[in-house]
Amino acid sequence: MRSERIVGLTLLSLLCSACEIEKVSIPRTDSRVALHAVLSATAPSQVMLLERTRTGSVAVVGSPFDAPDPIFTDAGITESNAFVRLVTPDGRTLIGLEDSAVRSDGKGFGVYRFDLPGSALVRGGTYKLLVQTLAGENLSAETSVPGGAAADVAVSLTFDRSRDTALVEWPAAAGARSYFVRVETPFGPRAFFTDSTRVRLPGDLRNVDTDALRHVFIPGFPQAVTVSAVDSNYYDWYRSHNDAISGAGLVNRVQGGLGVFGSLVRLRYEQLTVVAPQSGPAAGTFVPVGSAQELSVSPYLQLQLYVESPAARSDQADALSGRSQRRVGFGDPGCAVCGILGTTRNGRIELALLRGWSATDTMEVFTGEIRGDTIVGSYRGLGGVAHFVKQQ
Amino acid sequence: MSSFVRLGARGALIALTPALLAGQTPTMGAVAGRITARTDSTSASVPAAGAVVSIAGRARSTTARSDGRYLIGRVPAGEATLRVRLLGFGAVERAIQVPAGDTVRVDVTLQRDVQQLLPVHTTAQAADVEIFLSRPNIATVTMSAAAMAGVPSVGEPDVVRLVQLLPGVVARNDYNTGLTVRGGEADQNLVLLDGYPIYNPFHLGGLFSTFMDATVGGIELMTGAFPARYGGRLSSVLDVQSAEEPRAGMHGSADVSALAASGRLAGALADGRGTWSLAGRRTYADALTRVFTDNIFPYHFRDFHGHAAYALPGNARVSVTGYAGKDVLDANLAEFATDTAPTRASAGEWAFDWGNRVLGVTLVKELGDRATIEQRLSTSAFSTRLDLGAGALSQRSEISDVRVGASLVTHGAAHDLTLGYDVATYRVRYASGSEQTATTDFDFVQRPTSAAAWVGDLWRLSPRWLVEGGMRAEGLTGRQWAALSPRLSVKYFATPELALTAGAGRVTQFMHSLAGDGALRYFDIWIASDSFTPVASAWHYVAGVERRYESGSLRVEGYVKRYDRVLEANWAEDPSVRGDEFLSATGLAYGVDLLSRWQRASGAAGWLSYSFGRSTRSRDSVRWAPGHDRRHDINLVATWRMAKYRIGTRFGFATGTPYTPIVGQIVRRAYDPSLDHWGTGDPQLFLEPLGGVRNSARFPASHRLDVDVSREYLARGATVAPYLSIANAYNAKNVFVYLYDYSTDAPTRRAISQFPILPTAGVRVAF
Repeated sequence: MRSERIVGLTLLSLLCSACEIEKVSIPRTDSRVALHAVLSATAPSQVMLLERTRTGSVAVVGSPFDAPDPIFTDAGITESNAFVRLVTPDGRTLIGLEDSAVRSDGKGFGVYRFDLPGSALVRGGTYKLLVQTLAGENLSAETSVPGGAAADVAVSLTFDRSRDTALVEWPAAAGARSYFVRVETPFGPRAFFTDSTRVRLPGDLRNVDTDALRHVFIPGFPQAVTVSAVDSNYYDWYRSHNDAISGAGLVNRVQGGLGVFGSLVRLRYEQLTVVAPQSGPAAGTFVPVGSAQELSVSPYLQLQLYVESPAARSDQADALSGRSQRRVGFGDPGCAVCGILGTTRNGRIELALLRGWSATDTMEVFTGEIRGDTIVGSYRGLGGVAHFVKQQ
Repeated sequence: MSSFVRLGARGALIALTPALLAGQTPTMGAVAGRITARTDSTSASVPAAGAVVSIAGRARSTTARSDGRYLIGRVPAGEATLRVRLLGFGAVERAIQVPAGDTVRVDVTLQRDVQQLLPVHTTAQAADVEIFLSRPNIATVTMSAAAMAGVPSVGEPDVVRLVQLLPGVVARNDYNTGLTVRGGEADQNLVLLDGYPIYNPFHLGGLFSTFMDATVGGIELMTGAFPARYGGRLSSVLDVQSAEEPRAGMHGSADVSALAASGRLAGALADGRGTWSLAGRRTYADALTRVFTDNIFPYHFRDFHGHAAYALPGNARVSVTGYAGKDVLDANLAEFATDTAPTRASAGEWAFDWGNRVLGVTLVKELGDRATIEQRLSTSAFSTRLDLGAGALSQRSEISDVRVGASLVTHGAAHDLTLGYDVATYRVRYASGSEQTATTDFDFVQRPTSAAAWVGDLWRLSPRWLVEGGMRAEGLTGRQWAALSPRLSVKYFATPELALTAGAGRVTQFMHSLAGDGALRYFDIWIASDSFTPVASAWHYVAGVERRYESGSLRVEGYVKRYDRVLEANWAEDPSVRGDEFLSATGLAYGVDLLSRWQRASGAAGWLSYSFGRSTRSRDSVRWAPGHDRRHDINLVATWRMAKYRIGTRFGFATGTPYTPIVGQIVRRAYDPSLDHWGTGDPQLFLEPLGGVRNSARFPASHRLDVDVSREYLARGATVAPYLSIANAYNAKNVFVYLYDYSTDAPTRRAISQFPILPTAGVRVAF
């Protein structure tokens, strides 16, 4: 995004927060069909999302995100029972089946799946997507799959944020409009396009996709780094935006509707386990201590903590990060190893024990004190008092 | 017929028209002499450089040169009244007898006048009369600092905000000091500081201009059909002139307002042969916030301005002007006080600054009594720098030029002939990338050179006719472009107080801003025309009538502006691709402007301006109204002097500008390549607004009353004037922008307002 638009959005948000003078209801407008579809060379099947634009005809209610239901649980208006076809370069036509019609749990409204593994995608081939809704609306779009050898399996690496720089290189892919670099973080991904065939990711890299410019790499967390060759549809859709005031600027190549039909070949896939030196009273590996009975029911078996960022002012807490090892019971769908984010100041410690690796999904909160090598505290939900001792 | 042939035919007609209007010349004489000035009866007299010398009731006037000498030719023989005026000194009128075919010598000594206001008003009015009588003055408004004083301000007196109150100039909204002139986009205005271009004369994203009130001596705004010596922009020329201190010794002023503190020191030296001025300004909200709160206000701007002039031996005068200003928006987000977040320790830094630099020197030399040569050398630059996360993402832009120009003016009995040239080399750079990831989004550099030559002739055809014709030839490397731009303006005096005017001319523009047509204008990033980007051009046609009164004037002027090509920033442009930054369109703007001014020596002074305008753009068979298209705009400005109080008011009413209604929203979903599935809930879903038909709706009309009150006290030889300004005194709810929410059953629209009631206070000290 150009710098003047960054300033403009900042100024606009400041102004808007200060000077609202009225809020009125306005007429509903006509909705349009929107699709999101990306042919991926590493996906077991190809998925298209079909939904409608927001026009005030439907009240959208947010709910916890559920991957099998990405539209419905991510504030979307699903478009079901559409007739969806994918035409391959050799002229075959594949019919897309809506997940909600085949899943036993009924999830997946608006999610249409083509039985076409990514390994079967023809590099350089042109695929055509045809959609007809129940109301008779017709959408169509085309994409050409870039070349390149797909990286199916992640390469696992340990990454010390305090001294390491990840150097990621890849060969040029024929037909690629650009390369899409994405690093998963607990606070949302850092993603950008580049025409280069190499990037460096230093440990102190900041995430400009978050409003607080947090670090990209968070100690204690596993973070995936991918580099994908993308076609021009994918590139133009995701590099462009509509201006907040005029609503213009987005590059749309879907005929009869809105959205993106692009293609992507994952060229590099690295799974970094991010670490950092553990110094300070709150940093280290902590294990629960207590009686045999207490230990047998302790929900957390290990806390691995890092000082993610020291305080920048005297009245501020240090930011902590890390991972926890959970006691996973029978039928417990939760993670065995999960993320931790927290704070510590003046001997007090507060930990958000995550359900997975996303900062937005907290399972439990632990608050306590640091007494030498021991953390003493309690869980907000589970109650009781727990003691953790630092392992030397 | 090719476009070039059409252009040549039209230009030839314009150039030859004056020859068709030849008249007969009566018996004439001339008046010459020397003007001096002194501060009191005991002080020595010094040359009164800059004194305006005129013959009452005649179109001819002149300005005393550096040594005080003057010459007025073509004065009808017989009785006449010589008038001499100079700011800060009492005006002199003297009855004279002009011999036929000969020259009468009249020397005048001006006396210092301590009543600043009366001669200022009188002088300001008289200067306008001189311009009215001596030049066609098409679509031109001049205003002295005194005439601008007392106009209510927002935080700081601002000359550009004042210009927005003049006819033909539309303010897009309260937050924007950008000028949209007679249907033109905001990048179509050539803004000059003492004749030197300044590329982005705005602070705080367009909220204030870079001109400090105390440094402004006057302005000249040309809103159409400007003379051949001006080029490079399609809509207007705004020349802000530095104030020059005529008094010996050191004088100064300070202004502490709610927004900023500024100060100026100035004085005359060497018995009036020279003058100097230094000024500075800085906002202080950042410093105050640190003192009184735990939080941080990470923004400030600062300006520095310097000007000096000196009369050299040999009838020469040199002047130097310099300006440097900067906006700084640097923040370590981790240092912000925590509101609801557990801690901000993990937040990062950003650095954002932008600013102008201008430096220019002008040498003027009189060649005998009949010619003046002027040589100019200047450099101007504007740069921006954005750094997010200490190198995670950086963007920078820069435009700089080095410019040399000269003009030769010969003063004949009937003609003032001007030859001139201007050559400028530019450096333009716009780059974005990440040092940390070693990636480049885009980085392009341009180094074009422009050259222009012009010829102009101010022909005093007869006592009733003034004709100013000219031709401007321009060229630009990088585009291999060259063009001829004819200019013509004509004035006919139906009576000595009533004049009809008409003008036409072609204008071109090869520097274009990426700022776009939005409601907020942050700053201009300039791109030169090259093999990818064409040169924009337009034709101006203007006709009007002006009536002078004893203490004011009334002018009504109609215009048509036809854009052969106008460029607008392309919102969907690909930063990695050159050539798609702009989209071409054609356009048309027309309207009528009215300006009524009254400039009494005492009592109220001010003006009423009314503009009716209509503007359209077309591309690919689609026509739309640009975002600055405003049908009606009225401004009433009045200032009163009552004993030691000065009261200023401004009332404005304007019909709404167009906007694009948002008709829906689309959720932007992200594909996770590591897990090969859609959406993760992270990041938070992103909603794109969907625009309807471009600029198909209009904001409601807006209106606002501003009031300014100040009182003067004398304290130890200094004038202390505390003031109170209230912008939007009755808190009118004027809409700035609409924000939409289509997630609810029955969508909603929020109106965000322009300025609420905004009282500011401050104090001015002058010594």
